[in-house]
Amino acid sequence: MLLVMGICIQINTIKEATKSVGATLKDNSDLKNELLKRQGEYEAIYKELEEKEKKLEEIRLNASTKSEGDTKNEAEIKSNQILLGLTEISGQGFVIELDENREVSSDEVLNINGYLVHEEDLLYIVNELFNSGADAVSINDQRITNTTAILCDGNIIRINGKMVGVPITIKAIGYPERMEFALTRPGGYLQAMADDGVKVVHWKSESITIPKYEGVYTYEYLTRGDM
Amino acid sequence: MKKGEITITITIGIMVLILTTVIFVQFKTIKHTNITLIENMREDELKAEISNFKQKTAEVQNQMQETNLKIKEYEISITTGKEASELLKKELEQQNNILGKNTVKGTGIIVTLTDTRAQKITSKDLRELLNQLKVDGAEAISINGQRIVYDSYVVDLGGTYISVNGERIVSPYEVKAIGNPTYLESGLSKKQYGYIDTKLEEGKDIILERKDEILINAYTGDLNMEYAF
Repeated sequence: MLLVMGICIQINTIKEATKSVGATLKDNSDLKNELLKRQGEYEAIYKELEEKEKKLEEIRLNASTKSEGDTKNEAEIKSNQILLGLTEISGQGFVIELDENREVSSDEVLNINGYLVHEEDLLYIVNELFNSGADAVSINDQRITNTTAILCDGNIIRINGKMVGVPITIKAIGYPERMEFALTRPGGYLQAMADDGVKVVHWKSESITIPKYEGVYTYEYLTRGDM
Repeated sequence: MKKGEITITITIGIMVLILTTVIFVQFKTIKHTNITLIENMREDELKAEISNFKQKTAEVQNQMQETNLKIKEYEISITTGKEASELLKKELEQQNNILGKNTVKGTGIIVTLTDTRAQKITSKDLRELLNQLKVDGAEAISINGQRIVYDSYVVDLGGTYISVNGERIVSPYEVKAIGNPTYLESGLSKKQYGYIDTKLEEGKDIILERKDEILINAYTGDLNMEYAF
């Protein structure tokens, strides 16, 4: 009985959700459908690439001879993958959560700018985390690589081409005390953001997992310069 | 009697299985439809997002071709018994070019920012510039010879100096970027709200040059992770 009830409730929820979406944005439904299609297309081909990369790794290991040079190069390729952010990693670190303050009193409503998280805030925080020795940083699970841009696109922030919305969770692997000190000292950046009305929460953690970079590096214009 | 019990048990078993499956399928459906974000998007945002996914798909397709080629080359080296050393070296070189372990060259732009008596260049100016160059597809960047790597940082040191990767640098700040010169230039040169116009408006001294070949030095520090595993 409970199960059946559960299912009915779920079906109803979905129906209602779909209905309201359909009703409010009827005019853009073609674009929405195309977007969902493109998104699905991307996810499928990315998954295929992941499998191919795995296969490459195996065959590379098989093909490399036991000569010293080959073994060394194969090992460096593997450790480079980690530095390039192409693997998931874990470790101790520091987490910051930023959210818009939704409980604004009426006389403050006009000053809307202070309550939003901006691209420059994220650039500053990421920079400060690396300045205090972070090994790896992610924002809403988007890994920060050496080509990652934080792009303000109208009301949307994009990182690695992916849309990022509030609440924003910034994770950093590194020495927790050092990162905490750099960002949370009195008069520091997070304090200033909180004073401006952004909800700021942060904590040190014994175990953080940062996902790999879900994208590809392009090197169309780049060649080795010293050979 | 016993037979009846078995039938009931099996029937209930099957029902539970079906119900559980249905519930999971439904949960998955809800999780997968990322509809709330899309629901709130305007027409231009939807269009931008569609072209964004088209571009990302094309990038993955390119990478896939390259990966397939590498797999094939390794396969050939295995079947012919030929050494894979050259292939390994080639892959390693590509990685090190991107990571910053190698000195690299290519087309691109050089942006020079200079302190004036009225306006000093700050680390924020440089951070914004780096970010804009990355938006426009820069493949390698350096500031006064300091290569930008994945954990680089740019900070002010007591209002007198700027530090990149922990190394002190001073004005003029020469920022080199390898990439498509047209994209890099037009990204910075957007009218009014673009980077260059904004900085000029603030009274800052900024010059942009396009170059057919730029040389960017390798990172001089060590790349390693201390706390991550």
